[in-house]
Amino acid sequence: MKSIRTAAAIATAALSALVLAACGSSGSSSSSSAASESAGGTAGFQSPTTESLGGKRGGTLQVLDESDFEHLDPGIAYYSVDYAVVFAVQRPLYSNKPNSNEPTPDMAEGPPEISPDNKTVTVKLKEGIHFSPPVNREVTSEDVAYAIERGANPNVANPYIQSYFSSIEGMPNATGGPIAGITTPNKHTIVFKLTEPKGQLVVDALVLPLTAAVPKEYTEKFDKHKPSDYASYQVATGPYMLKNNAEGKVLGIGYVPGKSATLVRNPNWNAKTDFRPAYLNEIQIQIGGADSVIGRQVLEGQDSVENDSQVAQSIIRLAAENDKSQLQISPGAGSHYIAVNNKVGPFSNINLRKAFWAALNRSAMVKARGGSLVTDVMTHFIYPTIPGFEQAGGLKGPQVDYNEHPEGDKEIAEKYIKLAGYESGKYTGGETITVVGSRGNPSEQDAEIVNQTLKNLGFTTKFTLVEDATMYAKYCGVPKEEIAVCPSVAWVADFADPQAVLNVTFNGTTITQTGNVNWGQTNDPKINAAMKAAEAVVGRSARATAWAKIDTELVEDAAAIPFDWDKQGNIEGKNVAGVGQLWNVGQWDYSWTSLK
Amino acid sequence: MTAYIIRRILWGIALLVIVCALTFVLFRIFPTGNPAVLRAGRDPQPKLIHEIERVLGLNKPLTTQFWDYLKNVLLHFNLGYSYYSQESVKSLIVERLPPTISLAVGAAVLWLIGGLGVGIISALRPRSVLDRGAMGAALVFISAPEFWLGLVALYLFASDIGKFKIFPGAGSYVPLTEDPWKWFTSLIMPWFVLAAGAAAVFARLMRGSLIETMDEDYIRTARAKGLEERLVVRQGVRSSINPIVTLLGLEIGTLLGGALLVETVFNIPGVGLLAYHAIIQADFSVIQGTVLLAAMFIIVANIVVDIGYAYLDPRVRYS
Repeated sequence: MKSIRTAAAIATAALSALVLAACGSSGSSSSSSAASESAGGTAGFQSPTTESLGGKRGGTLQVLDESDFEHLDPGIAYYSVDYAVVFAVQRPLYSNKPNSNEPTPDMAEGPPEISPDNKTVTVKLKEGIHFSPPVNREVTSEDVAYAIERGANPNVANPYIQSYFSSIEGMPNATGGPIAGITTPNKHTIVFKLTEPKGQLVVDALVLPLTAAVPKEYTEKFDKHKPSDYASYQVATGPYMLKNNAEGKVLGIGYVPGKSATLVRNPNWNAKTDFRPAYLNEIQIQIGGADSVIGRQVLEGQDSVENDSQVAQSIIRLAAENDKSQLQISPGAGSHYIAVNNKVGPFSNINLRKAFWAALNRSAMVKARGGSLVTDVMTHFIYPTIPGFEQAGGLKGPQVDYNEHPEGDKEIAEKYIKLAGYESGKYTGGETITVVGSRGNPSEQDAEIVNQTLKNLGFTTKFTLVEDATMYAKYCGVPKEEIAVCPSVAWVADFADPQAVLNVTFNGTTITQTGNVNWGQTNDPKINAAMKAAEAVVGRSARATAWAKIDTELVEDAAAIPFDWDKQGNIEGKNVAGVGQLWNVGQWDYSWTSLK
Repeated sequence: MTAYIIRRILWGIALLVIVCALTFVLFRIFPTGNPAVLRAGRDPQPKLIHEIERVLGLNKPLTTQFWDYLKNVLLHFNLGYSYYSQESVKSLIVERLPPTISLAVGAAVLWLIGGLGVGIISALRPRSVLDRGAMGAALVFISAPEFWLGLVALYLFASDIGKFKIFPGAGSYVPLTEDPWKWFTSLIMPWFVLAAGAAAVFARLMRGSLIETMDEDYIRTARAKGLEERLVVRQGVRSSINPIVTLLGLEIGTLLGGALLVETVFNIPGVGLLAYHAIIQADFSVIQGTVLLAAMFIIVANIVVDIGYAYLDPRVRYS
């Protein structure tokens, strides 16, 4: 459950800093691919679903990244930029082909087996997969067990282990040692025993890099360090490895923080066990620089790509105007919506939430984010490429009057204000409501539109703009602050399951006092119960249907005001046959990309 | 004089401790300042945050954390470890110093030569076309932010994305020890960009100061006595340079700020870029290390400038 991290602030912000984080696989298989075409793709531009997967073997790809990696340890990595490297050097139990959201057996031999009671998951591993030097030996199920166990080690502290794997027996109290619910009956079989019927959720989460094998005898000493520095000595199972020395040291060799990373072929990788073609001989990643300069270097260069969490809007436009073949637009890069406080203040009144939704000019808001090239007007909460999107109404969304006019409808807004008990059609409650937005465009422009809409409806606002991370950490993620409106919160699922989109963000049982991501504090007992039931549903199609129904209920509840489904624009040099990862917000896939 | 220098050094150390304390406190009271929360992902569970805080030592009382930090810095020059890469901050900084020193020294030489040269020529030919042109250009450079100037330079002259493909572009820096010629050419644009603003300030200041000096009675007397004009100018420049030397100390601070931006635009892997990435990632150990280095740099530069001031102006004596 990762949402969008802006960075970098990095805006630095430079980055604002920030970073649109993303990970996740999404969607459904063949049907999901089709869905992504109709829902979220941009006509006339290549996308992960339309790119050719063929390529020429050899060559060195130059990668220009404005921002540095956060974590390259498969047990910690969580953001899209990190995933681009981690998924080239590691093999989780399951992973995604670049043009699909359907998990493909990777380290696993075939599909997982879920017991009829939905409480046991069995996965068989392929034989003949070896760790890279200096470990060299064959991977066993014990290595996968250790990889997951170390995630619970505080020195590693995996950020999602308790969110998706807490139903494994012994997991809630695990601290890095053996977990009772994870057993390895033989060298190539691993079994997960669950305390709750959540087999499907665990299976979906097996695409996360936490399940990439880690050799215990080699890694234990690094994991004893506080914090673990296994990333600096990591070994690989994928087609590539971070360049290292004879002792396995990567730091300063294959990864120089803030400067560069170098991926070379893993000499122990056996192509027969993998579905990746691994065309490239080497990937050289240069870190740093200004996004507009990097963008131009890529567009005017030959063998390079930019693989940042966000390419500068000006560069996307430049590529769209000058050479479409150098631009890939990937659907399913998450969503932005307005969190309104369902618990306290005027927006605890459902009709005022609907009035706000109806009045809002969502078209103007998505225009600020780059327009139809890289956005769609959001009409409900499950986003394109995630199973359940079509069932929840597709691009058009549920047919309720306050959702019908993306450019805003004053009359409908007035209707709901009157229903809320304000006869004049304007809000006359009198109190001042707090609106806390994120500084820097386009979030700032969106926040201004939101604030003006509220004023037009009669609200008196205290409007504050802060850094993106501050908005979450101090205001919108802290219920006691009682913020009425957060104009631009964002979410990207960790993998292609609608639960990963809706559960933490709208389930009342997930509300926490700090770091809360159910920003609007939606706590509808009916919806909570529906989510609990949907959690236990097995089968992608059945889950899509169940969660789509919840999505519709959230719209009928106007639990939040959706405005933007993101698409990610990525650029490549003239001599690059780039292949983007549909499941990872379109990041270039080093295992499939080639040089022409 | 010796007592003065010792006193300045002691004050410098005290100042460094204060800077340490300020950065330490500032980053910990910022709402986004808890690296454990940042590290815990977008659904940061309280238990996970607590565990990460424990591992990073952030659960100890602030005073203990600060005391530990201070002891490590002062007694062992240990600046801690990056929260992300786990690499020693000291080695990160040491590794990044050569590019920053290359950039800063080159820019300082350029701005001194360029700024003083243009200032002197303008002062000796006031209101000439040359003077007006130079001062007009100086105004432009003073007004232009380094970041913008860097982008313009790249779009005009970079060999990869420039209109006129003359100089190596962003990301082309190579260490001096690896290839001196490439090192030199890769730094030409960054040097000019970093030096432009300061050179312009120095040029205007030098011009004003020298024009004033050249109107002084003793200059007139020197000329009346038939002293060679070259020597008159030399005397005038020496008398006019005191405000420049004073400004030099202040400009060192600006230089470091500018280096951060220039290193970012030109992708030079120096301390500025290190600081930039650390700020983005809230990597406090690294931020503290780079701030401390910057403070130390400024303090040392100011001490040197003060001593130089006394040397240049015999009327100045410290007791």
